[in-house]
Amino acid sequence: MSQPKQTATPSSAPMERPPLLKRINLQQYVVYLGFLAIFLFFAIVLRDSGFLTVRNLSNIVLQTAPATIMAIGLVFVLSAGEIDLSIGSIVAVSALAAAVTINAYGMAAGVVVGLGAGLAIGLVNGVLVAYVRLPSFLVTLATMGLFAGVARSLTDLRSIPVTDSAFTGFFGSGALLGIPSLVWWTAIAILIGHIVYRETRFGAHVLATGDNNRAASVSGISVPRIRLAVMMLSGGLAALAGLLYAGRLQAAKYTLGETDLMTVIAAVIVGGTLLNGGKGSVVGALVGSLMMGMLNNGLILMGLSVSDQMIVRGLIILAAVAVSLREKAR
Amino acid sequence: MPRFSRLSALAAACLVSTSLFAADGATVGPHGEKPTPAASVTLTDAEIAKIKEGKYSAALVWHEMSEYTGAVDRGAKDEFAALGIDVVAQTDAGFDAARQQADVETVLAKKPTIILSLPVDPATAAAVYDPARKAGVKLAFVDNSPAGYEHGKDYVTIVSDDLFQMGSKAADAMATALGKKGKLGYIFHDADFYVTNQRDQAFKKTIEQDYPDMSIVAEAGMADPARAEEIAQGLLTQNPDLDGIYVAWAEPALSLLSSLKAAGNTKTKIVTLDLNEPAALDMVKGGNFAAIVADEAYNIGRTAARAAAASLIGKEAAPFLVVDSLAVTKDSVLDGWKASLNKDAPESIVEALK
Repeated sequence: MSQPKQTATPSSAPMERPPLLKRINLQQYVVYLGFLAIFLFFAIVLRDSGFLTVRNLSNIVLQTAPATIMAIGLVFVLSAGEIDLSIGSIVAVSALAAAVTINAYGMAAGVVVGLGAGLAIGLVNGVLVAYVRLPSFLVTLATMGLFAGVARSLTDLRSIPVTDSAFTGFFGSGALLGIPSLVWWTAIAILIGHIVYRETRFGAHVLATGDNNRAASVSGISVPRIRLAVMMLSGGLAALAGLLYAGRLQAAKYTLGETDLMTVIAAVIVGGTLLNGGKGSVVGALVGSLMMGMLNNGLILMGLSVSDQMIVRGLIILAAVAVSLREKAR
Repeated sequence: MPRFSRLSALAAACLVSTSLFAADGATVGPHGEKPTPAASVTLTDAEIAKIKEGKYSAALVWHEMSEYTGAVDRGAKDEFAALGIDVVAQTDAGFDAARQQADVETVLAKKPTIILSLPVDPATAAAVYDPARKAGVKLAFVDNSPAGYEHGKDYVTIVSDDLFQMGSKAADAMATALGKKGKLGYIFHDADFYVTNQRDQAFKKTIEQDYPDMSIVAEAGMADPARAEEIAQGLLTQNPDLDGIYVAWAEPALSLLSSLKAAGNTKTKIVTLDLNEPAALDMVKGGNFAAIVADEAYNIGRTAARAAAASLIGKEAAPFLVVDSLAVTKDSVLDGWKASLNKDAPESIVEALK
């Protein structure tokens, strides 16, 4: 295959001059440096407030697991030059569908139905974007509202308890080899996501599509199929996030995932994925997601009032996004 | 609509509990508890000194932030400060149960002795509060407790409004405004909501039982508050000669006010619940609003904080504590604002009173 594999700097960027190259190289590490800076700040300021305890740090990883999984899907979607605003609603629909099915038919059926619901919504999004050729922003803006409504009507606003201990262990509070299941899910998803994104033909096609879809099409890539695939991938991963939420909370409710969209977009962008396609990083998204979780955690532990937490969090995200996006302006 | 947002937090409770509604003129707790006045929670100087010695700390894990939550929050903080208890964290779950779960885990890093909270989703909240309960944290709740939790063992108490009293005081205020006679309209919340249902029914019951010369001649259920204006309009078209109208809470009452104004009606009196600046302003200026019944939200926070602190020195609180409410009229609006929200009345109202 003659498709260029994407490298640390986009090889397609025309006429790069050395000073700019240098800056872009540094900017590659912005998310890691930012993460480290925030971590060190909290570690020092909150040294007596339990921030550095293993329990608290592992809480951050567990709490961000669903958002991290959603972020992986969004890296693919954004890299292909699309966006998926419906992930929050997919989380709710999948979690509720899974919970209802688990209570009636057991865990396996519930997982299949939950993931199936996410893939099906992804398919709807994908067909409308890839074959009906509607802009993904508008399609998923509409399906976000549509499926939020479906989630509400699915159980008439009721929350559904999930008592199947196999399910809650596997997707929520369980552990394997002393490592919590949510950490396993995060690690496995990141590993697979990273390999697919960096090392496979599919990953290269996604990037080529996002970078310049006409060029991609000319070089033999089926752009519609790539678009359909990334929307379904995003739907499937959002559904997995829904299962993780349901497992951890031992319940599903229509509000699950509702507030996650902005956090996930911020995590992905801060992690070095371009909003308009052609470049991205799965590992960056993980670090971005952990950074968001660490911010929430640290600002609460600092004893700030809720309004102050929101202001400070907003400013830090703004700064991080500004730094990571500034270089990418053309 | 700060109050309405809180109502939705209680919706879940209605669906799992069947013994919610006031039977014989009294507020009933979410699990059928009998109400106990908040004033029953007292501490002697010696007890306060003992609590202060303990160097305890508390975290406030709210469901969302609104004017109402803000007043509860201030009450809790003031009481904790008076008892020498350090408030180490405050969180806002934005009505998301998963976020509230994360918030509980996060604040536990600060090892608080007390957590005050309003559960986003009582039906499934056990998984949310279990880490705190297992860590031996004293839990005190506002409005509701997690399903399956036992009073005294798993949590200290639930503090809420005296909902029946609120509706009943609205009826008394209406009677006062109309000289105990007249024809009434009744706009109630037509949904399965614990808070509004109890208040609405208390209004109706009090009018029927205590005021023989007053009668409810027109009723309109409001399922969707966004459609309040159409509902009010319909009620007024069919009954243009009403002396007074009760509305379940202040926001839709403002829709009614605009309908009355459009019809040039300055005579029909409105009584509603929950403080609201535009409604209070109309009342102060001698408009249609005759009275607004408000709860002592600030006192909910104080009571929950005091009950939780008392439990640290082995003093048990009753399972369901209720705070008083007050009917605020033009003459009592400044004091009423202070008593309900522990805040000065807004500038516009102070100005209008001059």
